[in-house]
Amino acid sequence: MASTSESEGQKEGDDPEDANKSNPSQDGTFECNICLDTAHDAVVSMCGHLFCWPCLHQWLETRPNRQTCPVCKAGISKEKVVPLYGRGNAKQEDPRTKVPPRPQGQRTEPENNGPFQSFNWGGDGGFQMSFGIGAFPFGLFASTVNLGGPRLPGAQPGTPQFEEEQFLSKLFLWVAILFIFWLLVA
Amino acid sequence: MASQNRDPAMPDVRAKPATTISNLNSKESHSVTKRLQQELMALMMCGDKGISAFPDGDNLFKWVGTIHGAQSTVYEGLTYKLSLEFPCAYPYQAPVVKFQTPCFHPNVDQSGNICLDILKEKWAASYDVRSILLSIQSLLGEPNNESPLNVQAADMWIDQTAYRKILHEKYETEVKSRN
Repeated sequence: MASTSESEGQKEGDDPEDANKSNPSQDGTFECNICLDTAHDAVVSMCGHLFCWPCLHQWLETRPNRQTCPVCKAGISKEKVVPLYGRGNAKQEDPRTKVPPRPQGQRTEPENNGPFQSFNWGGDGGFQMSFGIGAFPFGLFASTVNLGGPRLPGAQPGTPQFEEEQFLSKLFLWVAILFIFWLLVA
Repeated sequence: MASQNRDPAMPDVRAKPATTISNLNSKESHSVTKRLQQELMALMMCGDKGISAFPDGDNLFKWVGTIHGAQSTVYEGLTYKLSLEFPCAYPYQAPVVKFQTPCFHPNVDQSGNICLDILKEKWAASYDVRSILLSIQSLLGEPNNESPLNVQAADMWIDQTAYRKILHEKYETEVKSRN
């Protein structure tokens, strides 16, 4: 068993069907270090290693606690990779803006300090409003204005956030009043 | 207006759109297959001395590897077969590598399990079959005797002559008797 010559076995073995799709570049200079194929949506880490962005993203997702370069184990992060743009590609968008394929759906980050947090103002200010044109039998036009709704613990009075919430609350109250006025006139 | 305050039908503007969990299983498995085919090609092309591997039958996710003991180590002249099983999450997860041939070594247990950091917590997606087999080949000559799976082998390692004798005796009885 142990003495069988495996090198012979390899040469005689059936080649996989895709084997004829051999890589054009044998030196592997521009191949992703993870999928071993020519890098697409290429990004390069600060330590200089080339990856497909989907491949690297999945690697970083797999190891949320240990963000290291798969090649040299240097510390890396999603923010500190450089996208590579070749010539002739019409849409030179950052590959990182694409949502890469993920096996377990989307993982929500524990601390979300993103720019979209301000979307919460509607609820925190205790003011919610919705306009709609519905097919519901009770109304062709629907307009809802919600004042002093269930308040979540919002910003403390005096803080800039509180001021902002107050301002937005007033602004949208006026928008609602104007809209209702417009509905009545029209 | 106040009566509308608690309209249960009112859409919640804060609600985030539900994240769609796309089913990419077939695509994933395709990319794993592709990578394994790339590795097979590379292994056959490079022709490393002392290591080889080939898929076990039609299943590309299960390979049989062979390691020849490196020169000027006590394992010189011995050949070991290993099984490599690739998970669906390969290469983001390490393959399960086991000795099929009984191996007397400080870091290999009776069932052929290998204690090697790169197969566990130090795994990286850039490792491939070739680097795994080369690592195991060098592990044969340079065991980590600090955390042995086979304590007897670890204790004997100091005396290389005696170790070599026992090793080859065991190999003769356990391996040759199988054929």
